[in-house]
Amino acid sequence: MGSKEKIKSTRRFDVCPVTETSAGIPLKEVYGPQDLEGVNYKNEISDPGEYPFTRGIWNNMYRGKLWTRRVFTGLGSTADTNARYKYLLGKGASGLYCFGDTITHQGIDPDHPLAQGYAGVSGVSIVCLQDMYDLFDGISLEDVSVSFNNPCMAATVVYSAFVAYAEDMGYDLKKISGSILNEPIHLVYSMFETNAKPLDLAAKLATDVIEYSIKNTPRWHPIAPNAYDMHEKGANAIQEMAFTIAIMEEYIQRMIKRGYDIDEFASRVNVFGCACDIDFFEEICKFRAARRVWAKLMKEKYGAKKPESCRLYLSVHTSGNSLTVQQPVNNVARVTLESLACVLGGLQSFDPAGYDEGYYILTEHSALTSLNIHNILAYESRVASVADPLAGSYFIESLTNKMEDEMFKVINKINDMGGAIKATESGWIGSEMDKELIKEQKEIEEKKRIIVGMNEFIVSKEEEVPIEVGRDRPLEEQMATSKKREDKIKKLRETRDKRKTKDALENLREVAGKGEGHNLVPLMMESLRAKATLGEILGVIREANGASYDPYKVLQYSV
Amino acid sequence: MKDSNRKIKVVVAMPGLDCHDRGIIYLSHVLKEAGMEVVYLGKFNTPEYIVNTAMEEDADVIALSYLNDHLYMIFFPRVIELLKEKGCSDICVMAGGRIIEEDRPKLLELGITGFFGQSTPTKDMIQHIEDRVKRERWKQ
Repeated sequence: MGSKEKIKSTRRFDVCPVTETSAGIPLKEVYGPQDLEGVNYKNEISDPGEYPFTRGIWNNMYRGKLWTRRVFTGLGSTADTNARYKYLLGKGASGLYCFGDTITHQGIDPDHPLAQGYAGVSGVSIVCLQDMYDLFDGISLEDVSVSFNNPCMAATVVYSAFVAYAEDMGYDLKKISGSILNEPIHLVYSMFETNAKPLDLAAKLATDVIEYSIKNTPRWHPIAPNAYDMHEKGANAIQEMAFTIAIMEEYIQRMIKRGYDIDEFASRVNVFGCACDIDFFEEICKFRAARRVWAKLMKEKYGAKKPESCRLYLSVHTSGNSLTVQQPVNNVARVTLESLACVLGGLQSFDPAGYDEGYYILTEHSALTSLNIHNILAYESRVASVADPLAGSYFIESLTNKMEDEMFKVINKINDMGGAIKATESGWIGSEMDKELIKEQKEIEEKKRIIVGMNEFIVSKEEEVPIEVGRDRPLEEQMATSKKREDKIKKLRETRDKRKTKDALENLREVAGKGEGHNLVPLMMESLRAKATLGEILGVIREANGASYDPYKVLQYSV
Repeated sequence: MKDSNRKIKVVVAMPGLDCHDRGIIYLSHVLKEAGMEVVYLGKFNTPEYIVNTAMEEDADVIALSYLNDHLYMIFFPRVIELLKEKGCSDICVMAGGRIIEEDRPKLLELGITGFFGQSTPTKDMIQHIEDRVKRERWKQ
């Protein structure tokens, strides 16, 4: 009996058990010409750099410009982060990445009672204008692009601080480049919803940043919606892009209402931050399909005439969820595969996750390994030399078509509900994501999805090869880091010219209640220059719009 | 006195400002499927709120989850301490998320009944809850 069992269990691994994509699209054994019947090359696929940009947004792709090679950064103090930036720039990084800490994401200050232990932990804390001076000391903003991972409403303040700093340092605002996440709607079901309420106000502020940026920082991308978080919270590849595009329609419509022509701003709101998971072909086709959906929407629905309005820039953080804490070295293989999908999918920028992401923020060694995954792909493997090398494959084109159809179905459904804000407030998008999350977890438990070292091919702890991974700081150290930040901000409050701060904030408050036609970025910049903090600025804006000063209703306004 | 035949009631919550709630969304689903009653508090709770809810709901179990950083070493002991203060130590407290190995003995000593994470089969969690609750109810 026992021996029969054994034979059966090894045979199980002799065939590929997969018959559908992660999102549930059925897969045939073989694809052929019949799968592309009726597809018009010029209209549906076309050359790289040509509408509808299925094959990429530039005609020579990486020969013209390689993808931006970023690595996740965001460590404790602004000074620590600055040191890591200089290290990475010296090792070939071409863009900087700034990940906010938990409380910056929430839009509260380090001396908020609920912030104890959180300031400068698992991300960098940005609260006041001085933080920008510390963060970018010795780095020329005209030569490097900076990508901020701060969601709205906090993003509005972070962007204002960055621009105020650049202006005060004498940089040419027309030359600074980078992006900020900014988008608040996704927060409602994926991260820190407290920072996105009231949702209508948050969307208004996000639009303020877009409007200010297209006029003053024309190379900057003032919104980079976070498809990644939605994916990691359950959204499958189709939903990830469809939800994000539907969300972006909210801002497009707001900008049109403010009197802008689509061609004046579309080329600045076309950067998505996505995930790239382990389903190799589905991810490649996701990127190709999303570019086509975006291009068609811009041209056919919004009447864009300029080609640059129809180009969708895609950037990725490879999926943290796809990594395991067991045998962390295996994650190098996963991340490499995901990064290859990014290159073959024609992305503009990505950062390969660290193999120890399941533990903590990357060690210097794992950050260097991630950077070298870029370098191996870009310079050693020759995979980047030909634009969209998979085009014309019966399977790739057929799956791209299928995903485009499915994305449009979801987008249309959301539009029928009255748009992404409505579909969020009704809970529909959230419940769709929960359903997918539960399905995925079930499949993992039932081993329908195999994850090496986690639910199959498991090795014991003793058999694991030991490797250095990012470690939590000891609790005492974490508390001390946070306390140091708290003290710094308290000191700022004590030593600043209170009168000046108060005047600036009251000025902001007055205008903040006036609604759509009044862009708040310039007044936020003035408040920051008068040493107001993140929490104060958002608190005053919130109060002016009938919400509580503190999202957690603990603090009162007291400047 | 709890009716020993009533449904097992579990308060599922994350203390503090951690936002990684994938685990508790799935756990709640699984516990409901296993016939338990779930009081879902989600993320961003204070230990006080979690304990008060568990008492008001007359819950059998508090399932805590935390992933982002090290602050669970403040929040989890605080939950246990509050339960003791209020004479409700019969409520089992289990922990999920990313609880590092070195911290586990101390948490066990304080009274956390078990640790569950990314790769724990959910049937083990259900079994753990059923065993613990049976034991507590039997004591009464």
